[in-house]
Amino acid sequence: MRETAVRAVGLALALTYAAFIGWLFVSRPQNVSQITGGLAASIGAYQVDARHFEDGLRFFRNEQFVEARAAFGRADPAQRDARTQFYIAYSFYRQGWGRAFHDDALYEQGLAAVDRAIALAPGGRLVIDDDPNLLMHSADELRAELDAGREFQASDLNPLRLFTRRK
Amino acid sequence: MTPLREAVTLPALFLTVTLLGAIRIGAPIAIEPPTQFSLVLAMLLLGVLVQSGTLVGARLMHGARTPLANLNGLVLLLCAFAASAQTLSLITPDEGLPAVVVGFVLLAMLVQMLAVSLDRQRLLRGLMVMLGVAFVLKFIVLAALSSPASGRVSRALQVLFDNVTLGVVTQPPLAPANGYLAFATLMLYLFGLSRLPHADWRMVRVGHDRLPPAPGRAQLSDQVARRRG
Repeated sequence: MRETAVRAVGLALALTYAAFIGWLFVSRPQNVSQITGGLAASIGAYQVDARHFEDGLRFFRNEQFVEARAAFGRADPAQRDARTQFYIAYSFYRQGWGRAFHDDALYEQGLAAVDRAIALAPGGRLVIDDDPNLLMHSADELRAELDAGREFQASDLNPLRLFTRRK
Repeated sequence: MTPLREAVTLPALFLTVTLLGAIRIGAPIAIEPPTQFSLVLAMLLLGVLVQSGTLVGARLMHGARTPLANLNGLVLLLCAFAASAQTLSLITPDEGLPAVVVGFVLLAMLVQMLAVSLDRQRLLRGLMVMLGVAFVLKFIVLAALSSPASGRVSRALQVLFDNVTLGVVTQPPLAPANGYLAFATLMLYLFGLSRLPHADWRMVRVGHDRLPPAPGRAQLSDQVARRRG
């Protein structure tokens, strides 16, 4: 009886440990907060820090994009919240946007963030419709804008581009 | 082997090896699963372990054992495989010519081990040497060549070395903690291998004068006939 119990407990422990390692291999967290946040999210216990998120929004609306990303990063250290990742991506877009040219490096980071947001959103659909400050409300629009901004196209030579408006 | 060792201790040890072997300390921390090539090498290594009697599969999975015990045996086999793949991936350089050369040498050594049919004791010694040499190459020699140079002279020598070798030898810089972690992982892995259920036989060296006379063909035929009869 005791042997059966030891074997059963050992099997359960080994499978749990192996599942944890498998999850690490798939999600590839880059720090301890991402590990703990990911584990908390897997059981539905992960929450964004509301105070830091509000700070981030305030900075974002004041065009202080670096500060906004720092605050959003503190609000969502495990990068598990779609809404926060969307704002991070949007901050990269607005900071990298230029009338004559776009900053490819910032757009690249924005694309990575919006991809994270889409992956985290239920069914891949993310719409932020409660923020009038935004001119793009869906992650798909933002992604298309960031993706198009990275590529050099014939339309980039159009002088009318100087009159386009940042979204 | 006790049920505790088979069901709890050894799987936990091999999974820990798999986990530690995947961690690359730096900023940020990276998790590197085993490469596809290391999976192939791990299959060969498991073959070598079984052939040498270091791992006796029948003591882990057998018709006479209970289904739960067989499941424990299967889990232990899979954990040993994962740890082997991760360890081989860990000691292989990350990129460039050294990755190709070390990968090929590891493959050649494992095939050679299969061909020469070692016993448990010799295999464990051989594996210790193989893993140790690969560790020295990756975490000491290549790490020294690839680490950021501190002075002007060493920087100049590094640039010269890079130019001579066309940059195919230099590796991404490794944080020193990675070497310590890799060393601990290798020791843990070798310890785990030594605790696997092993065969009782071993090879011995005996002089010809001490060997009993070899049976002739007629005697062998008699013995076979007696067994069949």
